[in-house]
Amino acid sequence: MDNHIVEVINVTREVAWLPWAVQYFFLIGLSVGGLLLSLPGYAFARADWRALGRIALLVALTCGLAAPVALLSDLHQPGRFWHFYVVLRPTSWMWWGSIFIPLYVTVLLVYGWACFREELQAHGRVDSRLAALYRLASLGGGRNDALIRAAGLFALAGALLVALYTGAEVAVVKARPLWHTPFLPVQFLLTALAGAAGLVLLLNRFAAGNDRAVEVRANRLLAGVLGGVMLVGALWLALGLFGLDATHAEALGSVAGSEAWRVTAVWAVAATALPFAIAVAKPAGTGLLTGLIALHGAWMFRWTVFIGGQTVPKTGAGFYDYALPAGPEGLLGIVGTAGLWLFLLIALTAILPSPRRPAPAPARAPRAPAGPVAAAE
Amino acid sequence: MDRSRRNFCLGAGATTIGAVTVAAMPAAAAAPGAASPRRDGDPAHRWAMVVDVGKCVGCQACTVACIMENDVPENSFRTIVSTYEVTEQGKAGSYMLPRLCNHCEDPPCIPVCPTGATFQRRDGIVVVDNTVCVGCAYCVQACPYDARFINHETQTADKCTFCVHRVEAGLLPACVETCVGGARIFGDLNDPHSAVATLVREENPKVLKPEQGTQPRVFYLGLDPRFQGKVDGTPTLWRPTSQPHSQKEHA
Repeated sequence: MDNHIVEVINVTREVAWLPWAVQYFFLIGLSVGGLLLSLPGYAFARADWRALGRIALLVALTCGLAAPVALLSDLHQPGRFWHFYVVLRPTSWMWWGSIFIPLYVTVLLVYGWACFREELQAHGRVDSRLAALYRLASLGGGRNDALIRAAGLFALAGALLVALYTGAEVAVVKARPLWHTPFLPVQFLLTALAGAAGLVLLLNRFAAGNDRAVEVRANRLLAGVLGGVMLVGALWLALGLFGLDATHAEALGSVAGSEAWRVTAVWAVAATALPFAIAVAKPAGTGLLTGLIALHGAWMFRWTVFIGGQTVPKTGAGFYDYALPAGPEGLLGIVGTAGLWLFLLIALTAILPSPRRPAPAPARAPRAPAGPVAAAE
Repeated sequence: MDRSRRNFCLGAGATTIGAVTVAAMPAAAAAPGAASPRRDGDPAHRWAMVVDVGKCVGCQACTVACIMENDVPENSFRTIVSTYEVTEQGKAGSYMLPRLCNHCEDPPCIPVCPTGATFQRRDGIVVVDNTVCVGCAYCVQACPYDARFINHETQTADKCTFCVHRVEAGLLPACVETCVGGARIFGDLNDPHSAVATLVREENPKVLKPEQGTQPRVFYLGLDPRFQGKVDGTPTLWRPTSQPHSQKEHA
């Protein structure tokens, strides 16, 4: 049938939530995920989770401190951020976010301090010029499990509030069918956990002594979370495909006709299924690979939701084009946030270097002198 | 009966004097959410627009008039006439659809605003106080009509205001004033004798995306249902040179 419509003149609306927003949702998600993963080892004092918990705490702290900077940068008038705090706007999830974020970051810092207090105290005992500073930072105390647990539970509450608001903030936007789904907050949380497990695997390799036990545990955790991600994704797709839910059918319908979106969907499935399969089949020795893919998957999910979602016109035909600008509103924002995170990681690991693992030390101790002996022979 | 420009001006003349007096006051901007008679509008009115699609010739005079009147930055539009080539049974024709902020009765852009910078006056006009707006663009996302954008000169949310400064002075919005075909009709829904109230009452006009539940106060006469929501068609012919247009059959 020769019936068709060609749009001749229309306006192209540029993306209004910039890559800064992607970075914010990525980092705050990783922070929340990292905090959750740190709780068994610290707040619940499970010794077998302690090593993983320490890396997860690094994830929570570094990402949690970098995230608000990205969020502030996404405001087109960042200097007016105080306007959030002189009004009561309970109808706006973003306003709630402006309350929850500082709350979360504060309790996270207190929790982090409580967890690291033992290490601060140990550094204070070492004969160095900085010992006094460490002693000051530890406030004259050491490990206090009751304090860690109390701070951990407060931090958990803060993390759940952040997870709730970040999900709801986007899911309530009825004007964008792709966002307006109750699955979105769950998907944000699960992909954040997967990303956090991925970053734990990466930091374990590069910044925490490459502990095999941590790798296996984190890979198993990752597999479990990715299983959840696939389950929720499949449910979302089924509701849309079979027209069981109008919102999901509309969301799917808004992008199903696009080749680029189909490629993205295949990519997303691969980025979830692949690390899942690897982590299940071979949890040891694959952490770098699964970690990288999981981290990339968590970022891609947010990029697709935010930048991809904004390229679906609300009234116009087809899709808007998006090309990543090189400046602060694009690439520079992404690189800058990543740089800030890296700086925070270097600073934190410089102040609190990874403790030497006691377990492998005796195993290696006899081998160390064996070398010269063997050579002498 | 404010369909004609002259009658509208005479009818609103009385309010003009008051509006001018109040206009001398400094904008109540420093404290977010502060109220003043000028900010809040007169609840006696409920301003609305009826667009008679059949009368629009797609000249974009409204688009240009709006830009000139409101100093809209380059590449941004508070209103535009979306223009489509519609082919049916091999015969091609044009379809014009003027788009602007719908000044909804239940505007989804307002509850999401975290600072109260965007609000609805008592006369129904939805405005943004750009001295309060932080440019978070949440309202841009929440608007189902793509009517809002970030103004890169003020770095705040921007949109059609029904030319509130002109309406308060007893004038018609610039787009209505300049419309050569008389396709845009502006007036007071609270006045049962006004042209808009009569048309809304008698002509059963349509609104865009009624399923969103926003209750727009921009009504359309002769609105083709295919253009009521997201248009299913080939997007604008213009493409960056690196992306040649794939569908050539329309050439």
